[in-house]
Parts: sequence; C-alpha cells; structure tokens
Amino acid sequence: MATIYHRSRAVNWLAIAPIFFIFAFIVAPVLNIFVSSLQFESLNLLRTEAIRNVVWFTTWQSLVSTALALTVALPLAFVTANFKFKAQRLTTSLISMPFILPSIVVGVAFLQILPNNFHRTAFALILAHVYFNFGFASRLISARWLQIHPHLDDAARTLGASPLKLFTTLTLPLLSKAIANAALIVFTLCFTSYGVVRVLGGPSRSTLETEIYFRAMQLGDVSGAMLLSALQVVIIALLFVVTTKASSKKFEQSTRPTITRQIPLQTGRQKIVITTIISSATAFAIVPVLAIAFKSINTDSRFTTSAWRTVFTNPEITQSIAKTFTYSVIAMGLATLLGLLCACSVAYNNKFHFISGLTTLPIVISAVSIGLGIIITFDTQPFDWRGAQLMLPLAHTLVALPLVMRIISPVLQAIPDSLRQASSVLGASPRQTWLNIDFKIIRRAAISAAAISATVSIGEFGASSFLARRGAETLPVMISRLLSRPGDSLQSQAFALATLLVMFSLAMIFVVDSFAKDKFIRDSHA
Amino acid sequence: MLEIDKVSVIYDSSQLFANLSLTIQHQEIVALTGPSGSGKTTLLRCIAGLESISTGSIRINGQDITNQPAHLRNIGMVFQDNQLFPHLTVGQNIAYSLKIKRVSKKITDQKVREVLSLVGLMHLLDRTVINLSGGEAKRIAVARALIAEPQVLLLDEPLTGLDIDLHGRLLEDLNKLLRTRGTTVLHVTHDKAEASAFADRVLDLRQLIS
Repeated sequence: MATIYHRSRAVNWLAIAPIFFIFAFIVAPVLNIFVSSLQFESLNLLRTEAIRNVVWFTTWQSLVSTALALTVALPLAFVTANFKFKAQRLTTSLISMPFILPSIVVGVAFLQILPNNFHRTAFALILAHVYFNFGFASRLISARWLQIHPHLDDAARTLGASPLKLFTTLTLPLLSKAIANAALIVFTLCFTSYGVVRVLGGPSRSTLETEIYFRAMQLGDVSGAMLLSALQVVIIALLFVVTTKASSKKFEQSTRPTITRQIPLQTGRQKIVITTIISSATAFAIVPVLAIAFKSINTDSRFTTSAWRTVFTNPEITQSIAKTFTYSVIAMGLATLLGLLCACSVAYNNKFHFISGLTTLPIVISAVSIGLGIIITFDTQPFDWRGAQLMLPLAHTLVALPLVMRIISPVLQAIPDSLRQASSVLGASPRQTWLNIDFKIIRRAAISAAAISATVSIGEFGASSFLARRGAETLPVMISRLLSRPGDSLQSQAFALATLLVMFSLAMIFVVDSFAKDKFIRDSHA
Repeated sequence: MLEIDKVSVIYDSSQLFANLSLTIQHQEIVALTGPSGSGKTTLLRCIAGLESISTGSIRINGQDITNQPAHLRNIGMVFQDNQLFPHLTVGQNIAYSLKIKRVSKKITDQKVREVLSLVGLMHLLDRTVINLSGGEAKRIAVARALIAEPQVLLLDEPLTGLDIDLHGRLLEDLNKLLRTRGTTVLHVTHDKAEASAFADRVLDLRQLIS
C-alpha cells in the first residue's frame, strides 16, 4: 500500500530501532544457540531414550491438547458468531480470560481443582492446555465466521443445501484457514508451554521446554539445553512453513459484510442449546480462577487472611511485587513504542514488510529459548549484562512485541490513504497529518496493546526463570518457589499471589475489550 | 403456479406488511415495485423460506410450502449482491446445487456447460469468481439459480448498480433467456422502466395488501 509517507525519510529512521532490537535480542541470541549447539558430541544427546521420550511426549500431548481445544472452540465460535444473547460481551470476555492468564496461574489453578492422583499426569497437562487455549481459538474462528456474509448461507439454502451440507460445503471451507491458523498457534503454545508443565508435570512429565530449563539450570548442561532449544526452534519453524504454505491457497475473504450474521435466539430449542454451551464454557473458564481465590483464603483447612497479610508485609514478597510491576511498566512502554514503530514502518513503506516476519520470531522461538539465548549471548565483555536488571523487561518486551504488532498493524493498515491526502490538501504537514489522522485513529489500539504487553510482562515465566536473580524475582518465579517448598501456609501465599495476577489480568481484559475495537473502524462499518 | 395468500410479516411487534396476496401463473414473469422499506425483499425471502411469515400461506402448484425449510422448496433466488461462493470456481459455483443433489459428474459437467453457453460465459468455466466484472458475476448468479430448474425464480433487484449500457444488455439477455426456458419469475425492482420492459405484469406491493 503506497501512502503519502512513502517518500518520507523519517519512515526509514522509524524502522531502525525495532530492527536493531530484534536483531540484538532475538536473531543474535538464537544464532548463538545454533552455532554453539552444533557440536558433534552434544548431538549424541538426541539419541538418548530419555530425550526421545521427552520429544514424543511433547508432541503427542500438544496434538491431543490442540484437537480437544478446537473441539471445544468450534461450537462456541458457532454460537458467538451466529447468535445474539444476553450478556454476550461479558460472557465472551470471561471465556477469553484463560488465554490472558499467566501460564503459571493456570497450572496453579488446576493443581487446586484436580484431585492429588491427577497431579503430574498427562491428563492434567492436557486439561490445563485446553483451558488455556479454547477461548482464544474460539475467538479467532468466530472473528472469521462473522466475516462470512449471511446471504452466502441463504444462497446455498435456496440451492438445496441442508444445514449439514451448508456447513460442510460452504462454512467449513471458508473457515478452514482460520481453523488451521488457530490449530497452528494452539499447537505451538502447547508445544512450548512452560509454566503449566513446571507446575503440573513435575519432573516425571517433562516437555522440551522444561527439559531445556532443567538441563541449563539444574544439571549445568548448557550445551545440551542449547541443542534442545535449537531442535525446538527447528520443529516450530518447520511447522509454521508447512502450515502457511498449505493454507496460503485457501480463500480468505477480507471484507466485512454489511449486515450481521448474529440473530436473536428464536426457538425454545435454540435457547436451551445455546444457553447450555455458553454457561458450560463460562463455568469452565471461571471455576479454576475461583478455586485459586478460595485457596488463598484457606490455610490448613480453615478460613484465614493470613496468606494475604503475609503477601503485603513480607519484604521479600512486597519487593517482588514492586519489581514485577516496575518491569511491566518498562516492558509496556518499550513494547508499545517498538510495536508502533514496526507497524508504521510496515504500513508506510513496502520495503519494510520483512519487519512483519521478524516480529513473528518471538512466537516461533519460545520464551525459555529467548531467556537462554540472552543469558549465553550477553555474558562476556563488553556485553556482560547477565546480571543487569534491564534484561528482564527487555525479554518481556520481546515476548509481547508480536502481540502489540498484531493489534496495531491491522488498524493502521485499514486507514484509507485518502484521509491523509485530504489532510494534506487542507494544509497539514506530514507530521501534523500523522498526529491528527493516523495517531488519533490508532491510539485506542495502542492502549489495548499497552495493556496486553503489561499483562504479558507480569505473567511471563519462561524467560524470567532464566533471568530473574534471587532478591529480584518476578511474581511467577516467586509463586513457583513458594509452591516448591513444603507447608500449607506457603502454598496459600502462592495462591494469594496467583489471585493478584488474576485480578490484574482481569483489569487488563477490561481495558483491552473497551479499547480493542477502534471507533473509526467500527463507525466505518456501521 | 405460485400463490401467496394473506401473508403478514411482523418484526418485534411492528408490522412490515399484512394480508398480502399474490398469484403468479406458470411461466409468467411478474415485476414487483414499491418504495424502499416496503418489504419487497422480505417478501422474496419469505417465499424462498429464508424468513418466516407470521400469518397466511404460500403454495406452489397447489402444495403448501409455508413451513417447508428453504433447501426443500426448489425456489431459485438471485441476490442483489450475487453472493457467489468465493472459494469455488465459476463452474463449481454453477454446479453447486447438482453436487448437493448428488447428480453424476458426467451429467453435471454437461449441464454446467449448457447453462454457461446460454449466458455466454463458457470461457470463464475454470476462473475464480473473485475478479469477475459486475455483468459476468450477475450472469453466473442467474446461471447458478437456473441450473437447479427451480419451480419459481426470485430476482432481487438483480440489475442494480450496473452501468446503463450493461443494464440494458443484461435486461434483454435475461428476458430472452427466462422466456426461452419458460421460467416462472417474480422480479423485485425499484425501477419502473425496468419492470415494464421485463415483465408480463407490473404490480406495486402496496396494491397487494388488502
């Protein structure tokens, strides 16, 4: 898309900071992992039965989790895309909540609601992964479903298609790309899941991600950890390439229909079925969170607020809370600024399209690998920054950057250049045009992106496990440490901290849902 | 023969139209005009089974189809915005209804070619529908509806948005095609000149309400 900023030199300068950041903190560390891990003797690790078992378990639990998450997500997407019902916004937000919860909180929640004999089982891991991903997958599919013009369904019906035929011959092919994308992302998240596996899997149920941590931090086998990290990056990258190629030929309608698909519930049967689906999904989303809050006020089988009092009086914990929020403010500022620069570079000049691909890297490369990469890259002079406190918010910025980019970029790209041209002919300079047109339109998306990056930073556990130093631990690391120690009161403190994370995440969901849809975009499709 | 008997449509306790009656003879082409918002499109959607009526009945050749689902009515409809299936080629779009009915591939291919020749677009058989011109898309939409050999064909402002030249040509071609095939047609339009040029009878929706 050519814009009035196409020839502006300032656009070239905009791209420098994010490109430098991604190369310095993602590309260089990952290349370092690959170069360092490709040693002949360390390759033997891949032949050991223990590692083969880890790879196999990681793969099959991810496949099963993805299949089950999509099985739950599809009927939910059908309901939210096709019907209007009471408290729809609230229920949709509640159903989306698990995805925004820190992974360690999800692990902690299932630790609380599942009976002891289910702890450290594949079932617990899979259930937690389904919980974490079903709302997100449903939202992704539902968004695509809403784009299918309802008159297409009508046309198929007048041509003789029964509801089932309509679904198989029209809806499913049109949804296939969204389903494939959702499956790819859910599989990747399950494959690289760390917090859930650390809490629920324990040493007996290890995945590649936890094995990388275990080798590097517990066994001191950094080269083995790097090899596994490289293996994980290769598997995920291959999966992305294959899925993207397979779905690139599939049709994707990009325009929004002028009329909505969503109809009010009409028949009694519809009301029963839809109410059942929505209330089951909402209960599934809420119950684990309530269980965490319940445990935080229940120590040694009696109700007490002692855990909460300790959380706000123990200097070690209060320091952790302060550090976590400080890091999240830094990560929020950095990620939003860099994401904005990336989105502007991509939208205003075709030669910067590659930045869009670069910002995908933190999805392909897991948080644990990012942490490991940073730790092995920045440990020698003149870049010996391992102990530097800024490394943690920098890592969090990397993890949040793809999300920020994906929130701001579509809004920016949807702005018709004719608006900027109109501003120019009315006498505005490019800078004034940007401030009065582009910025005013994207600022709501930028607020959403900032809220998301703060949430990501506060709950980030993978990279933090590597980078957090004793005395400067973030909340997820602190929760993990409290859970690993015996004693019900320490457990309750962990649950109180998890509740704190939930409360923060819920507040952020509210911000995101209030600002996610840009007013301009909404109005232009009214 | 299509018979609409005292049909009323009520939305959220407000009445769109009431006691509307209309009879269309076999192979007759009827044009229906009326102001915007009077319920012309809604009437077509009710006949097609895409929306429910509040009272009254709809019959085709004496058979009551009031409560029959849309896919069992065998009523063709051409939408104002065509609604060609974007994931299918031109040929696959036209063959859609035959595929649904599990007609053999050989007969389907033969019929698709036949109907594409009728609308003069044989060369577009394997093309994707995304980049068709307005006129081409309209002809494909008509061909897709006709191949199912519907008992009644409903046209919802099919020529809206086309330029004057194309509008005139398409009107003429469509008229010839539907008369040659002896199709029973209910054509909704706000353009009275188009209605007069196309139909055996021109009716105003407001006249049909008793």
